[in-house]
Parts: sequence; C-alpha cells; structure tokens
Amino acid sequence: MEIRSGDELAFRQVYNEVFPVVMKVAYHVTYNQDVAEDICQDAFIRFYDKDMSFPSMDDAKFWLIRVVKNLSINHVKRKMRESASLEKVMRGPQVNPFKDGASELILKESTAAVRKAVSELPEIYKTVIVLREYAGLNYKEIAGVLKISESNVKVRVHRARKELEAKLDREEVNVP
Amino acid sequence: MCLDDQILNTYLDNELTEPWKSQVEEHLSYCSSCRTRYQNLLKISDAVKSAELTADEIQPHQDRVLSMIEKNYLSKGKGKKSFLHRTFKLSAPQLIGVAAAFVVVFVGSWAVFGHNNATDSTILLPDVNTTIDLNNITQTRSSDNAATSKSLENYSLDEILKNLDARGYDVDIRLKSIQPLSLEKISSEVKVIAKIKDKGITITSDGLAKDAEGTIIATGVLLEDNQIVASDGTILWNAEETTVIGD
Repeated sequence: MEIRSGDELAFRQVYNEVFPVVMKVAYHVTYNQDVAEDICQDAFIRFYDKDMSFPSMDDAKFWLIRVVKNLSINHVKRKMRESASLEKVMRGPQVNPFKDGASELILKESTAAVRKAVSELPEIYKTVIVLREYAGLNYKEIAGVLKISESNVKVRVHRARKELEAKLDREEVNVP
Repeated sequence: MCLDDQILNTYLDNELTEPWKSQVEEHLSYCSSCRTRYQNLLKISDAVKSAELTADEIQPHQDRVLSMIEKNYLSKGKGKKSFLHRTFKLSAPQLIGVAAAFVVVFVGSWAVFGHNNATDSTILLPDVNTTIDLNNITQTRSSDNAATSKSLENYSLDEILKNLDARGYDVDIRLKSIQPLSLEKISSEVKVIAKIKDKGITITSDGLAKDAEGTIIATGVLLEDNQIVASDGTILWNAEETTVIGD
C-alpha cells in the first residue's frame, strides 16, 4: 500500500499508528516530554509538507523515526554543550529531568532510576536501546534506521545492556 | 563451552537463527550458570521496557500536536502554501485558455490605448488659433507670481545667514555704534560694589552676586538705595545687611 505523506487521509493513518512510537523515541532520548512533543510535531509537519511517497506504512514509520531520532540527538547534544558551559560558571544543583510535572507522582522509583540510567548511556548505545526496547524495532530495522550493519547493532545492544547492568547495580534497583 | 553475553542478548531479542537458536536452548537447559546469566539479561531488558513512556503519558501530546497540525495544515489543505511555492498543474485545454486570455488582454489593451494615442494628442496640446491683439494680451509682473516674487525682504536675517553660511561665506554681523566687549575689558571694569554682612557674599558691577567661594548665586542684581534688588524688583538683601563699597 503506497503512502503519500501529503495526503490527508494517509497522513492521519500514519499519525495514529506512528505517533506513540516516535514520541517514545523522542522522550527516551531527551527525557523531556515537552521537548519530545515539539520534536514530534516538527517531524510530522515536515512529513506532511514534503509530500513524499512511501512504499509501505513501515517505510513511512522508519522515515519518521530517523527524523525524530536525529532531532532528539541534536537536542541532547546542544543541551549538553549549554549545560557544560553553564556549569563552568555556576555549579548549581542538577535538575532531575525525570520528575517532570504530573508524571512525577505516579512515577515509580525504579522507573525513574531506569530512565536515568538510559539517559546516561553514550549516544550510540542509547539509540539502539531506545529503538530496540521502546520503538520495538528488530536488529535489521535498527540497522536500516541508523545506517549501520546488523552485526554492529548486535554489538551495541550487548554493550548497552552491559552498561545498564552496571548502572542499575550501582543504583541498587530492584529489577522486577 | 559456555555462551557469551552477546549471543545470549541476540537470543533474548529473538534475533538468533537456526540452527544456533536450538543449540542455545539446548545449552540453557542443562547449564545453570548460563541460565542465571540469561535471566539476568532478561531482567535488565524487562526493567528498561517497564520504564517506557506510558500510553496515558503519550495521549495528551498526541492530541495536542494533531490539533495544531489540523488547524494549521490539514484544514487549509494545500491552499496554505504560498503562491510562489505552489506547483501549477494545467491540462492542455486550460493552458490554451490561459494563452487565449493573454492574447485577448494584449489585443484589447492595444485596441483601447493604441487608439487613444492618436485622438488624445489634440486634446492634450490644443492649437492656438486666436490672433494675438491687445484684447487678449495682459501685462504681468514677475512678482505677481508668488513663486517668483520672493525678494531678499521675504527672508529673515537668520535664513539669509544660513544660506550664506551654506555657500561658504563667513559672515560677521555688527550693530552700528556697539563695540563688541572683550573679556579683558569685562574683568578690568568689574568692581565689587557691595558686600552682604556675615555671609561673605559680594555684589559686582556686572550684576552678579557671588558667595565666598566665588560661585554665582544670583544674576542681574542691582544696588538701589543701599539695598540689593533682583531684576524684577524684589529686595534680596535690605540696606542693613548690605555694605556698600563706593568709589
């Protein structure tokens, strides 16, 4: 089924199916819901405006995931640069990004700890873990989105879990 | 030989193909240390998955973004694109129609304006066909015309000076019988004419009142009947306070 991104009906179909996935990707890379929302909005506007044609729903999804992933990583990098230069000036208390707004109340402690551990992963490991665990992509699809080889994905998943294990052990989280 | 973590992770993600998948399963069935390791990796994967952004958390964002896009993009359709960015798709009959319209406009404009050129010239430039005699000649002065009648009298002195200054003249204007005062003359001629008792104020002939430090505290003051008055007639210091210094 061909998808034309500028066609309103097709757009709505893609939006309903893909928004939750890209929102998860954006959130678990940036760990800020407002920023993630902005990024998703930006991506879907581009998607609609460019009026592209995709051979299938999955291809449209992968395009959106790639755009959202790039925007999210750019945001994190910019944020890191800003806070690094800011920290030089004033070593103020670090704001915990995992306690944003209403979700703070319902957030379990272990959830917050896991989110923190994921957020601290190096970028190349974080993206594969986010795409694997939150976007539900298989190794081949991750390889396609990140434009790396499948065996590279395999290695990164392994190393990412190893780092997460170390981090979560240190945090003494009761993993369910 | 036991399994390494990378193989276990690949197996965990269901990415292992046969025959390796069966081999791993077989090994796990009897090797407890590998099984423990596998359980551990599974726990990590599950812990990460459990921290996922929930559907409840996603929904408000999904609704908000959609309503924004609906308002600004979908409802306006492609019409919201600016004129320049629009791509025009015209069928052959439409193209011919547009071309025909141009021809009509062009021919029409020539017919209307081209024709007018010939007739209008007679209206715009009327012929003079009356003979000139005394009845139709009137004498005028150049000053009757407001635009040309501006003589030097119509300008203020200020305007004349500005005009001359703009042309590069250095103009010095003096009034008859008035000599410009030089600073030396002023200082030599100024004399202390009175003092105010106990205050250290001195009044000089140029109408200034100065305090002990020499700061001017009043101008235009006069010595009248042994008292100091301001230019508007108010008495500043009465005769008892004033010591007149005569010549």
